[in-house]
Amino acid sequence: MNDKKIEQLKENYLNTRIPEELEFMVIKAIKKSKLNESKKNRKFKCLKVAGTSLAASLALFIIGINTSSVFAQTMLKVPLVGNIVEVLTFREYSLDEDTYNANIKVPAISGLENKDLENSLNEKYLQDNEKLYAQFKEEMEDMKENGGGHLGVDSGYIIKTDNDRILSIGRYVVNTVGSSSTIFKYDTIDKQKEVLLTLPSLFKDDSYVDIISENIKNQMLEQHSADENKYYWVRGIEEEGFVELFEKISIEQNYYINSDNKLVISFDKYEVAPGYMGVVEFVIPTECIADILVGDDYIN
Amino acid sequence: MSISKKQIAEYVIEEKENHYRLAYSYVRNVDDALDIVQESIYKAFSSIDSLKEPKYMKTWYYRIIVNNAIDFLRKRKRLILVDDEVLASYNPAMDDSYQNFDLQKALNDLPEKYRSIIILRYFEDLKIEEVAEILGRNVNTVKTQLYTALEKLRININDLE
Repeated sequence: MNDKKIEQLKENYLNTRIPEELEFMVIKAIKKSKLNESKKNRKFKCLKVAGTSLAASLALFIIGINTSSVFAQTMLKVPLVGNIVEVLTFREYSLDEDTYNANIKVPAISGLENKDLENSLNEKYLQDNEKLYAQFKEEMEDMKENGGGHLGVDSGYIIKTDNDRILSIGRYVVNTVGSSSTIFKYDTIDKQKEVLLTLPSLFKDDSYVDIISENIKNQMLEQHSADENKYYWVRGIEEEGFVELFEKISIEQNYYINSDNKLVISFDKYEVAPGYMGVVEFVIPTECIADILVGDDYIN
Repeated sequence: MSISKKQIAEYVIEEKENHYRLAYSYVRNVDDALDIVQESIYKAFSSIDSLKEPKYMKTWYYRIIVNNAIDFLRKRKRLILVDDEVLASYNPAMDDSYQNFDLQKALNDLPEKYRSIIILRYFEDLKIEEVAEILGRNVNTVKTQLYTALEKLRININDLE
């Protein structure tokens, strides 16, 4: 390594003038990234703590009754319509302040005879959203101190399926800081048996993880070859080493059952594809999982 | 073990000048180089999960910078239909402060695929394998391109190895 020419070129390179604003800019970019990142990582980690602070949630229920006419109606409806299960907006938080916007709708399920299930779901919904709103306010204050910016959070729910047997409810959180991130979280209930259906509970054993993952990978490749704008982080499309490639769904992967009784696997924005693809969903053909399903009650 | 945000932040602050130099070597303009450094930080934080082990931090991060810089050049090419020669002549960075103007010009005029290798291999002192990783090319391709690049600069390979 002692060629003079290379040495000279290297010297030129190392003599590149470093602008004074570099340091300031780097620190600012890190701050901004951390702010963004904490939003993306938020997900629904608080699920685990649901049910811990009974006293706090009791207080909130009382506030709920006092302040929300919807809630009052919900309470009234239970005895009137018997065991008709329904989902209503329990509380709403909203904040609209120039560049800071929050709109959070908290769903509540009613009409289940199984009150343990109903309460635990409703408590979870309430706590997640309480936390979401508190975090939003905290970030907003932080941003105001750091010279302002745009911040938005939009959270609500959609009923994916509501038939005689199945209720699939999807809650979403859209965070906006420059670009946006979207998180979906589904709950599926068997309305007749009144149980929460987890993904593993639908299958005889764990083999579904591999079978579904393979099917999804094939769907990704097929979609990409039909339309190259459909881009997924999967072997065969994205090269290895840079982004984490999709290998397998998780045991408790987000899913719901659609109105055609098909299993739909859902991925959050950025989970398996670049941001422009948004939230991506794959309908799993029933014939590919029929052998390993516990029964054909839900999926057929 | 995954990488913490704090580790990335520390690395980015520590290495900011190297990152800036690398970005600058592509775009040769202060504002654009700063933009690339900034974009790379955002990109790094948002794709933190793709970095598995701390020891790959440098190649991982360099790859982000290089990709950002190349993307940027592509966009700029689309915006301004001026060939590189003319562009370079507008560029205040191509000033006379270099000791060896012709040699520097020869390097600047090298197509990007060759120049990247020279910069990463000799100025950043990275191993061929690391250069290949950063550029997303295979090791043999990088070796061949390195020799071609040196030939184009009329640098005697034997002096280097």
